[in-house]
Amino acid sequence: MTSPNNENEPAERIIELRLPSRLGYEKVAMDTASSLARRMGFGGDRVEALRTAIAEAVTNAIEHGNEHDADMRVLVMLTARPDELVVSVADQGRKQLDQQKTTPTPKIEDSFTKRDKGGWGIWLIRELMDEVEFTTAPSGGNQVRMVIHLER
Amino acid sequence: MLEDELSVSTRERDGVAIIDLVGDVTTFAEEKINSAYAQVTGQGAKHVLLNFRQNDYINSAGIAILIGIVTEVNRNSQKLAVSGLSQHFQKIFRMVGLAQYADIYQDEDEAIKGFTTAA
Amino acid sequence: MELSFPSELGYEKIAREAVAAFAHRLGCDRERVEDLKTALSEACINAIEHGNRDTPGLRVDVSCIGAGDRLEVEVHDRGLKRYESSGTVASIDLKLRGLAPRRGMGLMMIAQLADEAGFTESADGGNHFRLVVYFRKL
Repeated sequence: MTSPNNENEPAERIIELRLPSRLGYEKVAMDTASSLARRMGFGGDRVEALRTAIAEAVTNAIEHGNEHDADMRVLVMLTARPDELVVSVADQGRKQLDQQKTTPTPKIEDSFTKRDKGGWGIWLIRELMDEVEFTTAPSGGNQVRMVIHLER
Repeated sequence: MLEDELSVSTRERDGVAIIDLVGDVTTFAEEKINSAYAQVTGQGAKHVLLNFRQNDYINSAGIAILIGIVTEVNRNSQKLAVSGLSQHFQKIFRMVGLAQYADIYQDEDEAIKGFTTAA
Repeated sequence: MELSFPSELGYEKIAREAVAAFAHRLGCDRERVEDLKTALSEACINAIEHGNRDTPGLRVDVSCIGAGDRLEVEVHDRGLKRYESSGTVASIDLKLRGLAPRRGMGLMMIAQLADEAGFTESADGGNHFRLVVYFRKL
């Protein structure tokens, strides 16, 4: 019996991670994502960029979305496709992210006076990733979807 | 995508056939490891060194392949040694009984010395 | 923490990294983290090859709970096949003489590396394999 290659095989592989909302656990997301990215063939620079972006996204979810609530989870979903890696990070919180905050243009001078230095995190994510989108997660919390393209 | 992440190469040094193993040693390593072994044996190697490179991942399927190599080594009256394993994997090799059939050295230099001084 | 990945050989490597990072967070010492990575890999491979019968499209679920100086990890598959240990593991001598299959060392390795290991009750019919690693907090 002949079976055509890859006809029914999905072109993507999904890894899901649910982390406790405690600072420090973003490291688990970073190591998991970079392990996958390296094996997919992403170069050192892109892997480092991904680590930083995911660290910011998970930290935001812990601090702002879930407000350090130990019972809440940060949901990280990694979708590996032949030519890109999609990373989505969602919190389970009820504190909706102000859409204005998702397109920051932080100035370093502002940070000297502002108490919340958080604007840099989102700015960094946008700088480092190829595509970035802020939406609401199916569960109701905030979700950021980031994509890096695999250059061959 | 995540399956085959091993590169195997062979070289010779001081009469010892060295098989360098860089990467993961799992079920997917079978063909590469067996070919390398067949190649050096075909070239008449009597001393064979499996030179690991602080590999992060060696699983039981990979070890099964190595047990297969030991079977052939015994059959071909060769002498086998391993080098470059992390402390953890040296422990694993002892656990499965491989240490009885292959001397475990810290590194390549030590292994070469071991082959030449042993009777 | 919970992790879910495709039931395909190779993806246990991602699980290794995730669980190692989690253990490191808990203050687990390096040697125990290595023991845990190896034991976990074997458990995941059992889930992929035996529990899920190498069926594409299925998934493996891993959950970790850290409490004090111990880490409990559970590996769940869909239970297409039960894969209890067959009893004593063949020695390397038997394997070398061709009298026993070369594979089948996974459960033995897990038993030697983890402080507790075994199957637990499962309501969903899948294999639930649990391993516990005690460690010295750094």
